[in-house]
Amino acid sequence: MAGVVLDDLTKRYDGGALAVDKLNLDIKDGEFVCLVGPSGCGKTTALRMIAGLEEISSGQVRIGDRVVNNLPPRDRDIAMVFQSYALYPHMSVRDNMAFGLQLRKTPKADIDKAVVEAARILDLERFLDRKPGQLSGGQRQRVALGRAIVREPAVFLMDEPLSNLDAKLRVQTRAEIARMHTRLEATMIYVTHDQVEAMTMGDRIAVINEGVLQQAGTPKDLYELPQNRFVAGFIGSPSMNFIDLKVSQDGGAVRLTGEGAEMRPDDTESALLRDLGLDTVAVGFRPEHLDVAPLSGPGLSVTVVVDVVEFLGNDELIHGSSAGRDVVAIINADNTLAVGESVTLSAPPRRLHLFNPTTGLRITKDGPPADGVAHLVSTG
Amino acid sequence: MSVQTASLPVATQPQKQRFRVRPSRIVLNVVLAAVAIFWLVPSIGIAIISLRPNSAFEQSGWWTVFTAPAQLTFHNYQQLFSAGFKPGGVLDALTTSIAVTVPVTILVTVISSLTAYSLVFGRWRGRTAVFLLIVAMLVLPLQMALIPVASLYKIFDNSTGLHLFGSVIGTIVFHVAFGLPFGIFLMRNFYSGIPHDLLEAGRIDGAGEWTLFRKVVMPIGIPALASLAIFQFIWVWNDLLVALIFLSGNPHQTLTLFLYGQVRALSSNYWVISTGAMISIVIPLIVFFAFQRYFVRGVLAGAVK
Ligand SMILES: Nc1ncnc2c1ncn2[C@@H]1O[C@H](COP(=O)(O)OP(=O)(O)OP(=O)(O)O)[C@@H](O)[C@H]1O
Ligand SMILES: [Mg+2]
Repeated sequence: MAGVVLDDLTKRYDGGALAVDKLNLDIKDGEFVCLVGPSGCGKTTALRMIAGLEEISSGQVRIGDRVVNNLPPRDRDIAMVFQSYALYPHMSVRDNMAFGLQLRKTPKADIDKAVVEAARILDLERFLDRKPGQLSGGQRQRVALGRAIVREPAVFLMDEPLSNLDAKLRVQTRAEIARMHTRLEATMIYVTHDQVEAMTMGDRIAVINEGVLQQAGTPKDLYELPQNRFVAGFIGSPSMNFIDLKVSQDGGAVRLTGEGAEMRPDDTESALLRDLGLDTVAVGFRPEHLDVAPLSGPGLSVTVVVDVVEFLGNDELIHGSSAGRDVVAIINADNTLAVGESVTLSAPPRRLHLFNPTTGLRITKDGPPADGVAHLVSTG
Repeated sequence: MSVQTASLPVATQPQKQRFRVRPSRIVLNVVLAAVAIFWLVPSIGIAIISLRPNSAFEQSGWWTVFTAPAQLTFHNYQQLFSAGFKPGGVLDALTTSIAVTVPVTILVTVISSLTAYSLVFGRWRGRTAVFLLIVAMLVLPLQMALIPVASLYKIFDNSTGLHLFGSVIGTIVFHVAFGLPFGIFLMRNFYSGIPHDLLEAGRIDGAGEWTLFRKVVMPIGIPALASLAIFQFIWVWNDLLVALIFLSGNPHQTLTLFLYGQVRALSSNYWVISTGAMISIVIPLIVFFAFQRYFVRGVLAGAVK
């Protein structure tokens, strides 16, 4: 078992494209870390560098206490599940899983035991003598997982292993991987572009955009304290609403208005906003934190015209627009809003996220605030 | 799953439709049968000539066997085989042909697939340039190279005292050299279709290049290897031109040379030619049927999504 440390890991492809830019990540032994980000952000590249399939342009990868930059994949004590399965088409399921162990000269009896055990865990016992071509997509996916687990590596690398499965199988296999992680206590690095997958599976999530690490933290951290606008918009579904507000001083009080919205900061926020002297700020608020109840103290209120109402059972999903800006809200279905209706939605201060509109960075007091309020010291 | 969906429409279709034969199919079959007969008749004729007494050739056509089958005899074969393995006999020619063709086939398939592996999966610069150079060699007509290469052999022989020219080994070398461009071209194109992920999975599983080649790439490439082997075998087996030049002066002749030797301006030995031709057909047929079962389609099914 081993942890993985990425130290300024950088990949520049021959063509000059900077796929991964100074990635720093300290993954502890046994931790389940998800690398998440939009398509083309460099997740696969990062994973392949850890695996030893891609040359490292600069920086370091350490697995356990060894620098592995110059070790071939087979000496890194890793297993990888490919985005494309990559099963050996001419070998039976049994041989696909046994191949790695055979190459490592594991005794035959031990190989058989490991393969049968993996097949049992993944419910593949009936298919052991079939070729990959005779399996469904989900079964192939499980064979690919089986091939990784029989090896009992220190680190599992998985590249979107669920991307080819239908919704039901995806949920099942997701649970399977989570169970596998608990049982094997191995370190897992899991790449996905699906933030829901990342949120539900990862102990920790690293959000990457255009090759640059945006934020790494627990799912709760990322949800409650996104460090920049990208992370705020990427994590959470439906994604966060953003509205640009103008900062004005009305006597002693700071007021933020714009795009059909109005925000009354509390005292500390006001003080810090005054210190920063910004003309505008971007306020972010999640659909699930909006309510139709009127605001009595500080907070944000926004008036929207309802465009679409989607019934979700207990709740309803409202697509509205406020001065041309789309706003999505999830509110209790008892409110029965009609299309075309104008409604004022509100959110309390602790549910608001303020961002510097030019740098995109979160405006906050250093350290996580005890009351969850977005405080006003730029981290940039 | 594909089995289910494929069988579903058939089951629901009315019986009549399942067995309906479209007119275009009938025409197609008739044309195919005609072509097959057209191609087969000469071979059947030669087969029958080889099974008739030598004297019968002058008296009646081979098709008379259909009314008088009693004339069939193995006498011609007995007579040819009775010479044993003496140089100049058919059995010696058969062994010489095998001695040339089998090594050439093995060398060309092995070297081609190794080269193709390196061209496709290797990580060295200039792979494309080398491949293009090899493709360029494909257009070089073999006939043009015969005399220059023969002179090269002679120069080599004169300076080393060896006898490459006129030897079986020299002939093999020439055939291999001219078989490789096509072999490499074919295998490279086939290997290009193998997803790199498969090799990377192999590398992570702990395979080195040699193991990857033997355990992953070559088994997948078997259909291409089998066709290459068949083409190469038949091409070299049927070659007369190269053998004529590079085996000249050698007491051991290939079958094609042996048959060629029986052709005379005025009275060719038709019984020897027909019987020898039948003997020379047998080996390629065996090779063809032995390799044919490797022509499985869809070898890559299930490898990647
Ligand atoms: N072999 C290569 N040569 C040059 N550029 C490459 C190569 N492979 C990837 N890239 C570029 O590097 C960037 C990152 O690619 P990568 O495959 O890591 O993305 P990803 O995050 O895995 O995306 P996806 O979610 O679509 O799989 C992309 O912009 C891509 O175009
Ligand atoms: Mg990818």
